[in-house]
This record gives sequence, C-alpha cells and structure tokens, in this order.
Amino acid sequence: MTGNRSNNFVRKAGIALALLIAFYLCLFWVQTGWDVYKVRILNLSAIYIGITLGLNLCNGFAGQFSLGIAGFMAVGAYTTALLTMSPQTKAAVFFIDPLIWPLNSIQWGFLPALLMAGLVSGLVGFAVGAPAIRFRDDYLGITTLGFAEIIRVVFTNTRTITNGALGLKGIPPHTDLYWSWTFALVCVLLMVRLTNSSYGRALKAIRDDEVAAEAMGVNLFYHKCLAFVISAMMAGVGGGLLGNLITTIDPNMFRFPLTFTVLMMAVLGGLGSITGSVIAATLVTVAMEVLRVLEEPRVILGIFLPGIPGMRMVVFSIALMVVILFYPKGFMGDRELGLDSFRNLAARFRRTFLRKQV
Amino acid sequence: MSKINDLALVCENIRMQFGGLAAVSNFDLLIPEGALYGLIGPNGAGKTTVFNVISGVLNPTEGRVRLFGTDVTGLSPDEIARRGIARTFQNIRLFRNLTVLENVLVGHHLRREATLGEALLAFPRYRREESDMLRTSQELLEDVGLEDVAHYRASALPYGQQRRLEIARALATKPRVLLLDEPAAGMNPAETEQLMQLILDVRDRFNLTILLIEHEMKVVMNICERMTVLDHGQIIAEGTPSEIQSDEKVIKAYLGGGVIARH
Repeated sequence: MTGNRSNNFVRKAGIALALLIAFYLCLFWVQTGWDVYKVRILNLSAIYIGITLGLNLCNGFAGQFSLGIAGFMAVGAYTTALLTMSPQTKAAVFFIDPLIWPLNSIQWGFLPALLMAGLVSGLVGFAVGAPAIRFRDDYLGITTLGFAEIIRVVFTNTRTITNGALGLKGIPPHTDLYWSWTFALVCVLLMVRLTNSSYGRALKAIRDDEVAAEAMGVNLFYHKCLAFVISAMMAGVGGGLLGNLITTIDPNMFRFPLTFTVLMMAVLGGLGSITGSVIAATLVTVAMEVLRVLEEPRVILGIFLPGIPGMRMVVFSIALMVVILFYPKGFMGDRELGLDSFRNLAARFRRTFLRKQV
Repeated sequence: MSKINDLALVCENIRMQFGGLAAVSNFDLLIPEGALYGLIGPNGAGKTTVFNVISGVLNPTEGRVRLFGTDVTGLSPDEIARRGIARTFQNIRLFRNLTVLENVLVGHHLRREATLGEALLAFPRYRREESDMLRTSQELLEDVGLEDVAHYRASALPYGQQRRLEIARALATKPRVLLLDEPAAGMNPAETEQLMQLILDVRDRFNLTILLIEHEMKVVMNICERMTVLDHGQIIAEGTPSEIQSDEKVIKAYLGGGVIARH
C-alpha cells in the first residue's frame, strides 16, 4: 500500500518535472525564435494571468469586491523600477528633483527587487485592506477604488521618490518570457494550493455567507486580509514585471481603466475559476493586439477608410457584451478545466446510461 | 455561585435594546449540562434575538452570557464558536456553492493548527489534519444520513436535507452547546419525526447541551425537558412541557390577547 503510494508519487513527480522541462523548452524556443512583438504579447499575457488570478482570489474566491488592483500594481512597478535602475540612470531621470538617499545609490538584482515589490505592495494591501474590509460589496469597491486613486495621486506628487508626473524612464528591460511565465506558473500553483486548502474553503465560505462562516468559527478579519494581501502581492509583483517589460512608467498608467481591464479578464473567465482566469487573461491580451488592425487606415473594395483610434475598444466592448450574454458567469463559471472535469463528464455519461437520474 | 458554574449555559438578566425598542429584557436562562431545552414564543417575541446574543452576533445592552462558568458576553461570533457554541439559522444559511462535504469541512477549519504556509506547501501536519478532517466529516455526514449526496452542491439539496446539513456543519465545530433555530420550520410531518430523532441522537452521541427555538409545538413538547416561553421580549413562563401546556399566560399569548396565533 505504502509502496504503491510512493510509486504513484514518484510517477506524478516525474510527469510534473517532464512537463516543467517541456514548458521551459517551449519558452526557450519562443524567446529565441519568435519576433519581438509576439514575445512582448506573450510576456504581457503571462503578467496579466498572474494579476488576474490575484484579483480573482480577492473578488472571486473570497467575494470581496475590490477595485484597488491598479494601485497595488503601481506600488510594485515603482518599487521594482527604483530598485533595479542604475544610479546613473536615476541621476539622469530625476533631473528636476533629485532622488532621495538611499534609493539614489542602490541597484538590486531583479529577483530581490521583485520580492521587495511583493512585500511592499503586500504591506500597502494590508494597510488598505484592514480598514476597508469592514465594508461589503459596492461600498468596498468604492473604498478600494478611492485608495488606488490616492496611491496614484501620491505618486504624482512625491517627486523626490517617484519623479512625479514625469515618470521613470530607462528601467532595465529585465522581464523576459522566463521571468513572466515563471511568475504566472507560481501564481497558478499558489492559487491551486490555496483554493483547495482548508483556508481556501474558508474564503469561499465567507463569499457564500459571511454570517454563517463567522458562526462556524471562521475569523473574518484574518481570512479577508489574507485574500486581500495575497491579491495585492500578486498585483505588485506583476506590476514590477510590467514596469521592467515596457521600461517606462508614469502614474497615469495606473488609472482606473487598468483595474477595469484586469477585472474584465477575471469576470470573463469566471469569478472563482483559476483556469478561467488563465484563459481569459491570455485571450483578452491577444485580442487587444489583434484588434489593432481595426484602427489602421485601409482600403476595402476601392474605398479608403481612415483609421479610427479607439475602434478596437468599441469592437471589444461589443464582444464582451455578447460573451456575457451567453456566458453570464464567464467562460468557466466557478468550475475548473482539468483532468477531473473530463472524468466527471465520463462519470455523468455512465450514470445516465445506468439509470435515469439528475 | 458554584452551582451556576456547573451549568452549561447561563444568561443573566439579558437586555437587548434597539433604539427605543427593548427586543428582550430581564431574560434569564439556566441550562444544565446535557439538557434539551426549548425556547418558545409567538412571532416577534425575541427568540432569535436571544440566539444572536448568545452566539455573539449581537452585543447585549445589559447582562451576561456564561458558558460553563466562563463569561463569553461580547465575544465575536467566531470566538464564541471556538469556545464551543454552535448554531443553525432560522432561514437556512449554507455555503451554497460549496459541496455538502465542503460545508462540513468548513466547520472543522477553526480547529486547524497547520499554518497557511504549511497548507500551501502540503506539509505532513497539514496533510494529516486534512485527512483527519475528511474522515470525521464523512462520519458526520453518515450520522445525519447525507453520505450519498456528499459531493452535491449544497444548494441542490432538498429543504429537509439542507436543514440536516446545517446541523452536521454545526456539529463539525465540536460544540458543547448547540443552538437550533427553528430546525423543523417548513418540514412535513415525516421529516419532522426524523429530525426529532436526529436531535435526540446527536445529543447523546456528542454529549451536547441543546437549546432549541421552535414554533412546531409537537417538537418542543415531545423532546424538550424544560422550556422558557417568551412574549414581547419578556419571560412569561418556565417549566416542563406539561406545566407550560396548562399555563394560563402561555395559552393567552398563543391563542388570544390580540396576538395572532400560529396554526
């Protein structure tokens, strides 16, 4: 029995390792072989997968309607950028108000900078979340939205730290497919472990019925903070990767539409579904780029059509409405796509054949 | 006072005031360990308010709640659950999107010792706890007769089974005192019969003290050893079922005196 189990474990670990190696080989192939534009889109997809999962944890699994993601992304992006930029670049970028000590003289590696970004945004997440989670539903949404805006406004005005509205330029382009997809992978694994654990069940219990969850001994403050902080950390690290991908950030990047984009990905995929978030984040990121075609001037049947900026957003909103019409709970609802769902399907077929039931 | 400390649940002079309205006042309750105690009264008498005070949802304006001698007044609901008081709700409050088994597992969560980190990394202690909880949850479901529907969504269960599931979930917190808020509401006579049997069973098997709110006279009179009758937030009678049935004030509260009687 134990021998069987350990054999099983070895087999599973072997499969996982093989998949992991195949995954990174794929990344290697794409990173070296594909053109820069496609690599960039794939990088963005991975970053958005992680951030969407973070938002889904808070909004979908724990049912805490938070709209502060852009703020946490800003915190992460600025932290990483300030830690990875070289002192020379910083001196050049901060030409109006010089950067304060010690930030002006340090340069960290990318990994410690990202971890720091996660830590700082987690702390900010706690500072924002701890008072805000007393509210529910739309009130929580409005409060967190306000906090995100406050973060942005603060960043615009603390010129000796963030360079104000001028933003940061010349951030080292550390982010490549290995970084971004490792981040996505870690986020997926974290979410799978968390949501299937006892803590995840407690979060879902809070989402379904807060009063009953508390009566069953679930500490609301602890668990809501947990969801909020992990969500903020994922957004922070994602923001850091994003900053080091596009190499220039300014406070206006982190306005409400950014939160909305991530929220849309989570809703489209299904609040409470990990695979849904992964699918939707990838799909939306790719679609945003593919639809750029619509904005270019072109000649159709001899008629010259000038490009209309913003046209892709119109098409995008229509597509979104159609999707929501047919899938009101997103592509996946709160289910997951995995081996189990195929097994369940098979089991259901068997049940229907054996006896008519459900 | 030593006698008071031996009692499972004591309410001392509880008063719950909402603005100008005293929902409950001068409320005393003495429940010995192992008792099956009833709390009855017409609609709006303040029964659920008493439950909310005991389970920590409401902080009483005045008075104390003691659990086996320890003062638990004003603690948060989750802390009170951890101290050993579990409850069900008048309008069923299950975790609708979780499976039946998961609902019961949530009840176990408060006794978890493995930290979040251990859970995420699947450390041995977490795995051991998880498999223990799974086993005890399945046993609990067998006890209340829900083992066949363990993997259904809670919202997919018929009404009577949802009630049973609520009781199973409450039992999963390993309570010493169980509060049941109208467990037989909306049940047909056969289901009510089964429920009464279930309540008696779980009390003996889990060494529980049970406080029961009920409208269904048949249930209270059959299974409760003693009961308190509330009307307009005041205690109007206290005693054994036969004493209560012949009490003038109770009959008046239920059948006449301007209060609309149920059934």
